[in-house]
Amino acid sequence: MAKSKNVVTASTAKQGGITLIMLFFAVIMIVPFVWMISTSLKTPIQVFEYPIKWIPSNPTWEHHVKVWTGAKSFGTYYVNSLKISIIATVGATFLSAFAAYGFARIHFKGREALFMVYLSMMMIPPQVLFVPKFIMFEWAGIYNTHLALILPGLFTIFGVFMLRQFFLSIPNEITESAFIDGAGHFRIFFKLVLPLAKPALATLAIIDFSWHWNDYENALVFLIDEGLYTVPLGLQNFILENTVDYNGMMAAASAGILPMIAVFIIGQRYIIQGLTNSAVKG
Amino acid sequence: MTNNWMKRQRLLGYIFIGPSMLGVLLFFLIPAAYSFGLMFTNYKFMNPNVDFVGFANIARLVKDPMFYKSLKNTVIFLAAVPVSIGIGFIVAVVLNQKIYLKKLLRGIYFMPYITSGVAVAFVWMLLFHPKQGPINGLLRSIGIDNPPGWLSTTTSSMFAIDIIWIWFMLGYNMIIYLAALQEVSPELLEAAKIDGAKPGQILRKIIWPLVSPTTFLLLITGLIMTIKTFGIIQAITQGGPGSSTTILSLYVYQNAFRYYDMGYASTLSWALFVVILLITLVQWIGQKRWVHY
Repeated sequence: MAKSKNVVTASTAKQGGITLIMLFFAVIMIVPFVWMISTSLKTPIQVFEYPIKWIPSNPTWEHHVKVWTGAKSFGTYYVNSLKISIIATVGATFLSAFAAYGFARIHFKGREALFMVYLSMMMIPPQVLFVPKFIMFEWAGIYNTHLALILPGLFTIFGVFMLRQFFLSIPNEITESAFIDGAGHFRIFFKLVLPLAKPALATLAIIDFSWHWNDYENALVFLIDEGLYTVPLGLQNFILENTVDYNGMMAAASAGILPMIAVFIIGQRYIIQGLTNSAVKG
Repeated sequence: MTNNWMKRQRLLGYIFIGPSMLGVLLFFLIPAAYSFGLMFTNYKFMNPNVDFVGFANIARLVKDPMFYKSLKNTVIFLAAVPVSIGIGFIVAVVLNQKIYLKKLLRGIYFMPYITSGVAVAFVWMLLFHPKQGPINGLLRSIGIDNPPGWLSTTTSSMFAIDIIWIWFMLGYNMIIYLAALQEVSPELLEAAKIDGAKPGQILRKIIWPLVSPTTFLLLITGLIMTIKTFGIIQAITQGGPGSSTTILSLYVYQNAFRYYDMGYASTLSWALFVVILLITLVQWIGQKRWVHY
């Protein structure tokens, strides 16, 4: 009796010890975020005080106010980023589902070959495409407009790949009985497969949204007018113009990061599920 | 009848994949072909004189010292990938044991991967501040009088970028390993324990080989993803100080959109493609030696 109790305490202590070690490293992982928020609430002379005061003695909101109401308000950047991210995400999720159904559920000649061609596009680095896209967009009149980000953003190879994996895992019996009842592919897709795929669609939508929200490289190449800037470009602009305003920088960085932290906390389960499914079963 | 049915299936197939195929054509295949053509021209933005220059751009690339330097920087950048895979593996193995707060810990380790873009690069820029930054403050307080200059010196800047990248990728690698570890049968581990295997042996001789396909996948996807990235570097160092953080993908960007030397930029971008192709090939050949399916 006494012995088994000892074993329990020993393993509990071990568990607790490992947990503590892992917590310690977890704190290191989120230190940049904590430091960012903490600094954004400090005064300039407090920024590099050492030892670090994680909770500022008299927090000030003036830097956040400056970021949101200054000459170049983050409001505009937010509206631009939201517009691009939402339209591209909704479009890309639907188009990916449509194509993924074709690749997974309809049998036609040349399907596998086309899918390989499709996947191989992932090998082409964006750097190869920047210059010709720049020239083509200029020619089509969409360079320096949001369409230059939205239109290519409608197509995600990863999305098609991920949803195809999911559609392949839906048992044939489910769709077969619908076929026997005389339903066609369109009806099966909209009425049967899409509702079944809701969790997978949510996963893709969240991941895709985070890509668009964080996309700095395309915005850098295809947008010039400050009025069109997305959050990452606006952030860079703010930092170039306020090179020594470290508090302001961190308030601006918070403005860029906090929505993603919120999305992450809400959608964590979906994100993790989706990424592991596409990797391990892929 | 069957023939008709097959025709119909084919048509339906094309209707379903059509829009995405059009996207691939417009935003991947046509630009890629265009870029391939530009490689043999001296096209410069806003300059109406475009000449066919044959292999002049390729000859220039072969003699361009900056190309080799950017390749070297790329290799240092890529070194972050195996390191973050290794750490991700260890974290996953520990989190896979019986511990408290498992979900919370998993979430925290994963957070940088999903939340960070350029914004967090700016945070690191201040954390790495050589004179007053908190990282060097900590190092001085534990007795290191001459801490590294991190992003501010040519010798340390690439390594500072590596640290940011390891921090960023770690969570993704951990998540994928955690999923792979679920497939390792507990009976097997139990049997090994009964046979007297030590935890270290079980880890090296049983778990590590069993998850090797996952390691392989993480290595390929991680290397390819990393080699294409230039955003965070452009945001915080613009390739400097000097050209110490100019990796190949950033060098392409600079040639295209800073010098508007688009013919040469196209040539460089195809060199990048060749590197990606080589990584993939080497991986596919090499995997036979150490991946156990």
